[in-house]
Amino acid sequence: MAKDQGSRRRTSARRIAMAAVVAAALIGAGCSSSKTKTVDTTVAGSDTTAVGDAATTVAGADTTVAAGTTTAADTTAVAAGTTVASGSSGPSGSARELVIARSMDINSLDVSRSYCDTCQIFNTAVYETLITADVTNVNTLLPRLATKWEANADNTQFTFTLNPAAKFADGSAVEAKDVKWSWERLGNIKGSASYLIGGTESIEAPDAATVVVKFKAPNSAFLQIAAASYMGVINSDVATTHEAIAAVGADTADKAEPWFLKNSAGSGPYTLASYTQGDALVMAANTAYWGAKKPTFPKITIKEVKDSASQLQQLQQGDVDVAMQLAIDSLPQLEGDAKVVATPVDSFNYVYVAFSPGAKGAENMADVKVREAMRLAIDFDGAIDTLVAGKGKKQASPIPNGFIGSKALALPAQDLTKAKALMTEAGKADGFSVDATYPKGNVYGVDFDLMMQKVQQDLKAIKVDIKLNPVEIGQWADIVGKQGIPVTAVYFAPDHGDSSQYPQYFGMMEGSSWAARAGGGKAGKPIINPKEAPLLAAALAASGPAKEKAYTDLGQEMINDAIIVPIVNPQVVLAYAADITNMHYSACCNLDLGLLGLKN
Amino acid sequence: MSRFVLRRLVIVPFLLLGIVTISFGISRFISSDPLANIVGERQLNNPEVVNAAKKKWGLDGGLAKQYTTYMGNLFHGDLGTSFRTRQPVTKDLGDRLPATFELALGALIIGGGGGIALGALAASRKDKPTDHIARLFSLLGSSLPVFWIGLVLLFILYARLGWFPGPGRLPPRVAAPPDHTGFYTIDALWAGDVKLFFSCLARLALPCFVLGWAYMGTISRLVRAAMLDELHADYVRTARAKGLRESRVLRSHVLRNAWLPTLTILGYSVGQLLTASVLTETIFQWNGIGSYAVQASNTLDYPAISGVSLFGGAVFLLANLITDVLYAVADPKIRLA
Repeated sequence: MAKDQGSRRRTSARRIAMAAVVAAALIGAGCSSSKTKTVDTTVAGSDTTAVGDAATTVAGADTTVAAGTTTAADTTAVAAGTTVASGSSGPSGSARELVIARSMDINSLDVSRSYCDTCQIFNTAVYETLITADVTNVNTLLPRLATKWEANADNTQFTFTLNPAAKFADGSAVEAKDVKWSWERLGNIKGSASYLIGGTESIEAPDAATVVVKFKAPNSAFLQIAAASYMGVINSDVATTHEAIAAVGADTADKAEPWFLKNSAGSGPYTLASYTQGDALVMAANTAYWGAKKPTFPKITIKEVKDSASQLQQLQQGDVDVAMQLAIDSLPQLEGDAKVVATPVDSFNYVYVAFSPGAKGAENMADVKVREAMRLAIDFDGAIDTLVAGKGKKQASPIPNGFIGSKALALPAQDLTKAKALMTEAGKADGFSVDATYPKGNVYGVDFDLMMQKVQQDLKAIKVDIKLNPVEIGQWADIVGKQGIPVTAVYFAPDHGDSSQYPQYFGMMEGSSWAARAGGGKAGKPIINPKEAPLLAAALAASGPAKEKAYTDLGQEMINDAIIVPIVNPQVVLAYAADITNMHYSACCNLDLGLLGLKN
Repeated sequence: MSRFVLRRLVIVPFLLLGIVTISFGISRFISSDPLANIVGERQLNNPEVVNAAKKKWGLDGGLAKQYTTYMGNLFHGDLGTSFRTRQPVTKDLGDRLPATFELALGALIIGGGGGIALGALAASRKDKPTDHIARLFSLLGSSLPVFWIGLVLLFILYARLGWFPGPGRLPPRVAAPPDHTGFYTIDALWAGDVKLFFSCLARLALPCFVLGWAYMGTISRLVRAAMLDELHADYVRTARAKGLRESRVLRSHVLRNAWLPTLTILGYSVGQLLTASVLTETIFQWNGIGSYAVQASNTLDYPAISGVSLFGGAVFLLANLITDVLYAVADPKIRLA
C-alpha cells in the first residue's frame, strides 16, 4: 500500500511536471516573443516638410493663377505647376514601415464604388485627384494631377490642364482620356459616390492634357468635388483589361470589383499591396512616384483594431504608430508619454438630432414652434461636456463650422423660458410623449445612448418625454424609410469641401433625404421649404460674397425649419508616434498618407 | 458501424437544407434594411443608387425568387457574394477557417487536455487541498465571462507588464508566411522561419488559454464527477484487491469508463469552438469565423449569414457523428445501428 501511495505521488508529480512544462513552454514562447518584438524605431532621413510648408512650397513653385475667367466657388484657387523630381525612385529614404490602427469600414477598394471614411484614406494614397484641398484650409485648393483649372462665368463649364509629368504606377502617362473614363465610370456605376458627378452634360478630352466638364446647370461646387477622393483617376488601359467598364450600363456590366480588391491602378504615392478583410490593408510605396513629395514609408499597414482601448494599448506598446479613433477620454492616459503625440483637432464631423414632424406618431411636433421649443430646451454646452469632455464645438446649422455659410450664423443656446413660452403658444404646455428610435453605437467619439439620454433629460424641462429605442442601423433605416421617426439621431462627415452637400441632404427641398424622412418616409410626403431650392441654385451659380450669402441664408432657413439640430461638432484625436510629422485631419481625404513624414 | 455512418451521412444534406432555409427565412423576416449597409445611410433616398444595388445583390425580386436563386447557386457550390466583403462567401470562410481552427485546436488542447487532467487529479485527491484548488480553478474558468478575462489578461500581461504579445495573429510589422495551409504556425515552419513560428505560437497562448479555460472548467468537473462515480464501483475494488497500482486503476479502468460523458462534452465543445468563439476572436483581433459571423449579422449580410449557418450546421453534425463513432470505439458494449 505504501508502495502504491508512493507510486501515485510520483505519477502525480510527473503529470504536474508535464503540465508545468507545457505551460512554461507557452508562457516562455509568449515572453520570448514579447522580448523579441520588432519595434523598429529607426528614424531615417526623409522629407519632413510641415503640412503648411508643403502647401506653400507647391503653390510658390511656378504659380499660375487661373485667369481670364471667373473661378467657380469660393476656394482660394491656386493653380500651380507641381515640381517634378527627375530620375527619382523609391521612398524617400526610410526603412520604417508605418502601422496605423483603425476600425475599418471599407465597402470597396474600387475607387468608383467605394464610399467610406477608410476608403477616403486609401483612395487619396493610391489614386490621385486633379486637385486637392489644403489640409490646413478646406477652402484652398491645390494642384495635384492638374497644373491649372478654370471655370466659365456661370460655373457650367470647367477646364483642367493636366501635368504632363504625371505618371501612373506602371509608368504610363496620366492622360485626359483616363480622367474622362474614370469620371464617366464613377457616374455610370451608380454607386454611393456617383452623385458627385451627377448633372454633367459631357466630359470631354479634346487633347491628352485637357479635360472639359460641362454641366446642365451651374455647379460652383465642382472644383471642391473634383478634390474628393472618390474622383481619383484610374489607369483606364489597365482597368479595362480587367473587365472594368465606364460606359452606360456599367452598373451591371462592370465586373472589375474583385480585381480591385487585389490590385490598384492609380498614380498616387502608394499602391495596394494586399487587403485581408477584417485584418489589414497594406500599401506599398510607389517606387516610380512622379510627384515632388516621395513616399516616406516603404510600406503602410492599416491594421484592423476595433476599439479605442485596444488602439491606445497598441500605440503605447509601440505596436502601431498611429491610433486613428481614440476616444477623447484617452488623452489623459497619453500625457507625459514622450514617445507619443496626442492632440485633439477640429473636425468637420458632427452628430445631430432630427425632429420629423411628418413621421408616424409625431403629430404633436407638426407646429414649428414646438420643434423650436425642443431645440431651445437642449443644453448644448452641457452636451459637449458630457459627450466629449468639452472637446467639441457647437454648430449653428447643418453646414459645419469652417464651411462657407457657417460663419455668420448664431450658435444655438439653451433658453428654457422662451422654450416654455413657445410650447404654451403652440398649445402644448402640458407636453407630450414621442418615440425616439436611433441607431446605437459610438460615432466620432460620441456615444449615441448617452447623447439621447442627455436630450431626453433636457426635454423633460418642457414636459416632452422621448421614449428611447436604440436599434441596429439596418432596422433604423427600414423604419425611417417607411414611415419616418419623430425624434432620432444620426451623424455626418463631409464627402468634399463644398457647402452644397448639406442643403442637398438636409434641406427641405425636392430630392433631399431629410425632406422625405421628415415628411414621414414613403408613407408621407416630403416637407418643402420653398425658399431653399432657389437659394441653393443661386449658391451654385455664384462666386465670392454672393455665394457665401446664399449659403448663409440657406443655413438660416435650415435653422428655421427646426428639423435638423446639430448637437456637437467633436474634435478628433490625432495620436501618433512622436517621430511622425505632418499628421493632420483633412476634409476631403480624412488623412493624406502621402503627406506624412518622419523626423530626421 | 459503417451502415450507421452511411445512414447519418445520407441525412446530413437534408439537415443542412433545413438549416439554410431557416436562416434564410429568419434573416429576411427581420424588419431591417440591408441596403443601409450596402449603399450607406446617406444614399438610401437616392432611387438610382438603391435600384442598382438591389439589382446587383439580387434583392430586386420577391422572397421566393431570392430563395430559389440562392438554392440553385448553392447546389453548384456557390454560397453567393458577401455584401460587406464583396468576396465569395466560400472564399471568406476559407480565408478565416485556418485562424479559427488554429485557435480552436489550441483551446481544445488546453481545455480538453487540461480539463481531463485537472478532473482526474481532483478525483484522485478528493476533498484534499489539491481537489479544492482544482475545483476553484475550474469554477473560475467556467463562470468568469470570457470577454472580461480576455480584457484583464491583455491589460495586465500585455499593456502593463509586456510579458505577452498583443492581439492579432502576427507580430506588428511582420508579414504573413507564404500561404500553404493558412495556419501561420505551420506555414512559418514550412518556410523555415522558426522565430516566426514561436512568435505565432506565443500569440496563440493568451486567446487559447482564455477560450480553453472556459471549457476546462466544464470538462474537469464532469471528469471528476464521472471518476468519483466509477471509483466506488465493484470492479475498481476488485482491481485494487488484485494488487493493481492505483495509477493503473485510475488510468486503465476509472478514467476509461468516465470517458463516455467526457466525449459528449468534447464533441459539443469542438462545434462551439469552431463556430462561436466570437468574443475571444473580437478581443484578440482574431480574424476567424466567429467575428465574421457577428459582422455578417450586424450588417444583415444575407449570403454571409447563410454561409456561416451552413458551416456551423455542418461542423456540429460532423462533430456529433464523430462523437457517436467514438462512443463505440471507447465502449465496445455500445453497438451503433
